[in-house]
Amino acid sequence: MEHPREITTVQASMILISTIIGVGVLPLPLFAVQGGGTGAPLVTFAGIILAAIGLFILTALGIRHPKKTIITYGEDIVGKWIGKMCSMIVIFFFVILSALAAREFGEVVVSAVLRETPLEVTVIVMLLIACLSVRYNINTFAYIHNFYVPAILGPVLIIVAFSLKNANPIYLRPLIEKDFISMVKGMLTISGLFQGSFIVTMVIPFMKNPKKAKKASFWGIFITGGVYLLIVIATIAVFGTEEIKQIFWPTLELARTTALPGNILQRLDVIFLAVWVTAVFTTLFSSYYFTIYSIKQMAKLKDHRMISFFILPFVFFLAMLPQNILQLYDVIQIAGRVGLLITILYPAMLLAIDLFRSRRRREKSVAQES
Amino acid sequence: MWHKNPSLRLIIIFFLLFPLLSGCWDSQEIEQRATVLAIGIDQASNKEEHRQSEGGITHLDKNSSEPKEELIKVTAQIAVPGRIPLGPTQGQSSQNSVLIVQVVGHTIQDAMLNLQQQVAYETFLGHLRIIVLNEKVAKKGTQRFNDFLRRNPQIRRTASLAVSKEPAADYMKLVPELQRVPSLYLADMVDNLSALGRFPPSFIGLFWSILSSKGQDPYLPFLTIKDKRSIQLSGLAYFSGDRMAGKTSPLEIGFFMAIRGIGRGGYSAFIKVPGKDEFVLVRAISRKTKVKVNLKDGKPHVDIKVRYESEIEEKTSKNVYINDSNIVGKIQNEASKEIAKSLKKLIAKTQKAESDIFGFGEHFRAEYPKYWNKEIRTKENWNRVYKDLTYDVHVDSRIHRVGMKAK
Repeated sequence: MEHPREITTVQASMILISTIIGVGVLPLPLFAVQGGGTGAPLVTFAGIILAAIGLFILTALGIRHPKKTIITYGEDIVGKWIGKMCSMIVIFFFVILSALAAREFGEVVVSAVLRETPLEVTVIVMLLIACLSVRYNINTFAYIHNFYVPAILGPVLIIVAFSLKNANPIYLRPLIEKDFISMVKGMLTISGLFQGSFIVTMVIPFMKNPKKAKKASFWGIFITGGVYLLIVIATIAVFGTEEIKQIFWPTLELARTTALPGNILQRLDVIFLAVWVTAVFTTLFSSYYFTIYSIKQMAKLKDHRMISFFILPFVFFLAMLPQNILQLYDVIQIAGRVGLLITILYPAMLLAIDLFRSRRRREKSVAQES
Repeated sequence: MWHKNPSLRLIIIFFLLFPLLSGCWDSQEIEQRATVLAIGIDQASNKEEHRQSEGGITHLDKNSSEPKEELIKVTAQIAVPGRIPLGPTQGQSSQNSVLIVQVVGHTIQDAMLNLQQQVAYETFLGHLRIIVLNEKVAKKGTQRFNDFLRRNPQIRRTASLAVSKEPAADYMKLVPELQRVPSLYLADMVDNLSALGRFPPSFIGLFWSILSSKGQDPYLPFLTIKDKRSIQLSGLAYFSGDRMAGKTSPLEIGFFMAIRGIGRGGYSAFIKVPGKDEFVLVRAISRKTKVKVNLKDGKPHVDIKVRYESEIEEKTSKNVYINDSNIVGKIQNEASKEIAKSLKKLIAKTQKAESDIFGFGEHFRAEYPKYWNKEIRTKENWNRVYKDLTYDVHVDSRIHRVGMKAK
């Protein structure tokens, strides 16, 4: 590789944390409640476990191929053409993911904060920032993520802590309310919110010690999972499941209901939105970076900077496709669930083939030696 | 090319920054804003007259696109830019700090749009502190207002909501002397009441969550105007679904808080001293409540245990001596008995109105999900079952202190 291995384990988990926490934080309790009613924490927990499994498959693959990403070792494992085709699907999926994140961001900003600003402007500004930041190398990428993580985690935890003043634990019971199928559906949607963790495959080849990637993944998913679970529990305890069903972005509403004691701030949504904008930026940054870098690797290009602007209009076009906010959320939920095929099932398949092959190779070499 | 030419680069950047000078789309000068501080909602009294003043601003066609909702009269208190005093000012300011506008509409937003037509600046609801609903409007249902208030991103969830006996417009016009901005006094009053233990926490977000959940009904402070100039909290308005079903007396608010499990006490009551015709004033300092629900032969049953920590504040006559622990014991037993009686009375009152403000239904939903899913499922069903709910009330009142006086 042309870059030195400089990313530490802590940096790697920071990248994971700031990538995973993104736009999805806002509708998260709604998705969870739609899936599980008062059993939403359970649904969320199941979703986190599923996401963790996917992440560990990817990490295991990365450790087995410490110099390559999913694009390059995919070709090694299933062959050049099938690998290329799968990589193309993966890349396309991440283009869609970036587009949806940008659109969802724009939608929230336009309906909650800047009501006069055209949607297109907020979306394109966000995309442009991501597009410009992508032009630097992976170390800068790691530093940017590292820089923002405390700013994202801190305020979210503060909001959750202070909101518990209005909490009513009775809203969290019974633990299982809905039937199995809707819970599984909810679990898949929640899992879909963790798809940013795919970035780990990009990070491992640049880690100082790729063996430690497992540790980084564990902390990454542990912290984000914990934060997500806390948010779900806090919003349900404050609003109750029936009220959450009436709100598009329960987490934002939670920040709006929460006041710092002593009337320092009567509503925390200002802080929350500032934090959330950075969270969205880091997520978008990662998925955009992944897209650009993967295209570069697949097409065996020397430089990724040119593609960055080349892709922009496509992402923007995709972002503008959904007709309204309701359709947007339908698309997001479907994309999240279908995406699991790409982000979990595809790596799982790769890992299975890879393990099977290496075992056969070992048997062969044992046979040759004897 | 321009990589190597720094001055060219500067010029390009300069021109790129040009569009930013126009500023934000959403920028708005604070003086150009009509900040609505409080809203009062009344029923429009004379139909014909108000149809004229309503003006049909939001109707596409006079006959076909007029909603069937009854007309409401909205009175808004708008802050006059620059006249809201910040910090202490010397002398009496002669100018009014607020402007009061009255409009009529089919819904809140309809009325707000009509209001906009009368006010030069864009109305801004971000600082809306209190909404006062007239009793009559509250009795017809509040759901029609909630939709707009939920949808609008400017409305705070921490704004207060209150029900009034007099027309809500009177509250908007009232000029209390303790605060320079009338609506702020009104809002502070409702906010501080819960800090003083005189009312359970109540704000619009809480009202909505309770209204949405299936096993409980919302409650709001009930205000009246005394002597045309001061506002009094004279009870608790309880709702059945989104309709106001009745109101309690002020002291019953204390009992309500006891059942609801709100620890901070604030109310005092006269308790008769056993054996004498004299009274002592006993103040609830704190309470501890345990609500246990169970199914007796498939019928819901509630056990309520309340433990009061009280203090004797005053006695009415010299003839009573509070100087040994015996008499205090007697008083506390009497208090327990009286309070238990009152709690039962309050529950019976709300049962009659099918209004479960205590949230017993939520306990059943949480603890007996099978029963809930089979027999209840909806709010209406629960209200029907609540009517015949059986309950036991145990009150344990303790008086530990009698103040600074020994006798």
